[in-house]
Amino acid sequence: MVSSTSGKNTTRAVRSTVQNELPKNYGDTKIVLMPRDPFWSYAYWEINRETRDKLKKEHGNKGKLTLRVYDVTDIDFNGSNAHKHFDIYVSEEAENWYINVPEVNRAWCVDLGLLLPDGRFILIARSNFLSLPRHGVSSVTDEHWAILQKEFEKMVKLSGIDKIGQSSFDVSRLMKERWEQLMSMPSSHVSSFNRPVEAHVVKEGKNFWLRADTELIVYGTTESDAKLTIGDKEVKLNPDGSFSLRMHLHDGEIPLPIKATSKDGSMSKKITFKVTRTTK
Amino acid sequence: MPMKPKGYWCLVLHAHLPYVRHPEYDDFLEEDWFYEGVVETYIPLLTIFEKFLEEGIDFRVTMSITPPLANMFCDELLQKRCLRYINSLCELAEKETWRNRYIPEFLETAKMYEAKLKNARRMFEKYHCNLITAFRNLQDTGKLEIVTCCATHGFLPLKVHEKAVRAQVRIAREDYQEKFGRPPRGIWLSECAYTPGIDQILKEEKISYFFLESHGIIYGTPRPKYGVFAPVYCPSGVAAFARDMETAHQVWSAETGYPGDPNYREFYRDVGYDLDYDYIKPHLHSDGVRRNVGIKYYRITGKVGLNDKQPYNPQWALDKAASHAGNFMFNREQQIKHLHGYISKEPLIVSMYDAELYGHWWYEGPDFINYLFRKIFYDQKTIVPITPSEYLEKFPKNQVISPAASSWGDKGYYEVWLNGTNDWIYRHLHKMAERMIEIAENNSNTTDSLKVRALNQAARELLLAQSSDWAFIMTTKTMVEYAEKRTREHILEFTSLYEQVKNSTIDEGHLRWLEGKDNIFPNIDFKAFA
Repeated sequence: MVSSTSGKNTTRAVRSTVQNELPKNYGDTKIVLMPRDPFWSYAYWEINRETRDKLKKEHGNKGKLTLRVYDVTDIDFNGSNAHKHFDIYVSEEAENWYINVPEVNRAWCVDLGLLLPDGRFILIARSNFLSLPRHGVSSVTDEHWAILQKEFEKMVKLSGIDKIGQSSFDVSRLMKERWEQLMSMPSSHVSSFNRPVEAHVVKEGKNFWLRADTELIVYGTTESDAKLTIGDKEVKLNPDGSFSLRMHLHDGEIPLPIKATSKDGSMSKKITFKVTRTTK
Repeated sequence: MPMKPKGYWCLVLHAHLPYVRHPEYDDFLEEDWFYEGVVETYIPLLTIFEKFLEEGIDFRVTMSITPPLANMFCDELLQKRCLRYINSLCELAEKETWRNRYIPEFLETAKMYEAKLKNARRMFEKYHCNLITAFRNLQDTGKLEIVTCCATHGFLPLKVHEKAVRAQVRIAREDYQEKFGRPPRGIWLSECAYTPGIDQILKEEKISYFFLESHGIIYGTPRPKYGVFAPVYCPSGVAAFARDMETAHQVWSAETGYPGDPNYREFYRDVGYDLDYDYIKPHLHSDGVRRNVGIKYYRITGKVGLNDKQPYNPQWALDKAASHAGNFMFNREQQIKHLHGYISKEPLIVSMYDAELYGHWWYEGPDFINYLFRKIFYDQKTIVPITPSEYLEKFPKNQVISPAASSWGDKGYYEVWLNGTNDWIYRHLHKMAERMIEIAENNSNTTDSLKVRALNQAARELLLAQSSDWAFIMTTKTMVEYAEKRTREHILEFTSLYEQVKNSTIDEGHLRWLEGKDNIFPNIDFKAFA
């Protein structure tokens, strides 16, 4: 952990931070509330050692760690004027919680505290105020842009309200789904899809089958600055003067005239292969 | 315009990749996201747009080019590596044309790759490996409108410090000015994530419009008279454009969407797995593990396993893209005619997509866009493509509404970025923001250049940690390790810098190393947090 009192930092010490663990905590006592969707919020918190010690000293192990969730819609919340509240008991070790709210389109605030057996609530930290995303259409109409209920319903439909929430139009996700679909098909179960080009020889019986094919590799070396052709095609040499070409070998006779010409064009060498394939 | 159109159509492509750049390795897997984007999406789109200009085909596209992507375009190391990537693919494509020369069912496809990859190389070199130049030129013609995005695609509604939200916007604006030579008019809020109050910050940062998911407007207060078919003004005066679900669905839907057509290219059947190991090895990463390399010879075929896929036919795929473009246009004409029965003004349809859908995932996507704008230009008079700022200029009078909190993610809110897989990051991100604001405020007048550098680097580390991509990846459970590693590293580097600034113990050697590594926003000013 990187502590704020580490003082001198040698180059080595700083570089090694990359291998270090993330800070487990930051010495704060706080709770932060975040929005997930109209129905759920997420809270994370931290209680520093000092606060923990103090709580222990004053209340022993009697209290239950509690999230008190207040409805603070349209009010200047002072700790006691919420519209309503509900409690969630969390374990000592918990550091975060997803909170399902009982009502949409409201604003919320969460107190992290200790609930004592006598009913007292000891505040540890108060969160930010949070309005969750609005759910559903508004009931307010604009007098300058008035619209009848019926027309509005139509407009909402045309705007694609039925597709809200189903819009998982994310490419990588779709592609991943396609991949999984492909992998669930029997003919895709091969370790690598190492089928040689396309089978030209297919002999299939009922359950027994054979596929086979041939390829040809032409390779060699010459002076690295030479010009090399195979037939009418110029072949690019590797920096060390080597070359290799691979091609499908079909039935019949394939002539392979290989010609190397020196850089200045004064010298040349030729080797010609003739390859024949017959299928029976 | 010769005739008054019945309605308008605004295509918005969101181009974004997280900032991934690892000079400490010669070869780094996740950097491929950028190279693949360049070859498969950005260059094909640029090629099409330039062709439109050349042939006088009027078109309008709105694109967000996020600051991380813009910074990657401008980074010399990534440019060099991207060229290396393109060269390796060109070489493979040449070998493939040769290998397939006696296999008629694959030869055309092999030739197609060779031609496309060589075009990619030509385009890349034409702009001296910096595609920002190409995008800026297109914007200057008025056909392409580029909007900015939050500085590192930070997810604004999950921040608790207003200054952290503001910094995401301000740093993006300043970076945009630097890259595009003008201030941004609009912004794409990362994941279209909005919560009331963000509009006020946009207003103060001189941004005049943003985009929203449809229920952001449908659930707005008061009731929106035109639904999602006209922009609204927020109470701050900033305009909001909402997504049309019909067009979203038409393209995206897993079942009925265009990209799943049997004639289109199968993404998952790649020569990186199919070909002989020694042959493909030079085109794999240095670890030699088989992965997709981008050359694929099969079409989707239907609901069959990978080994039953049929060979790809480029002409069939093109024909299909043309017919899908025709279908899309026809549906827009119908949609607009239908809306006319309910709306007393010309409706606006805003179609929003991830740019990388076009080309990278849906290989024929750029062809679809190509055919679509040609058809719209030549074959109909109902709809006119438009950009948001053109629309606002033409129709400055719009309803004032407070939009509802929303995002375009799964379920419509924030759950993708806040759930059991990623909620642990927020206590750190919030603490970092709090600390950044603290040291920025306390040192806003400092003239100590080493301290300024440390503060600027702390700001970079915070911003990079804030990328919503990491939380997203943790949710989708692919490449999670990388996302976690990045999050951890930025938290730790930031925390260390914070201590060093506070204690005046700045380690210049490490700072220099970090500046070279996490080098996004070369001209950042930490005072954006003060």
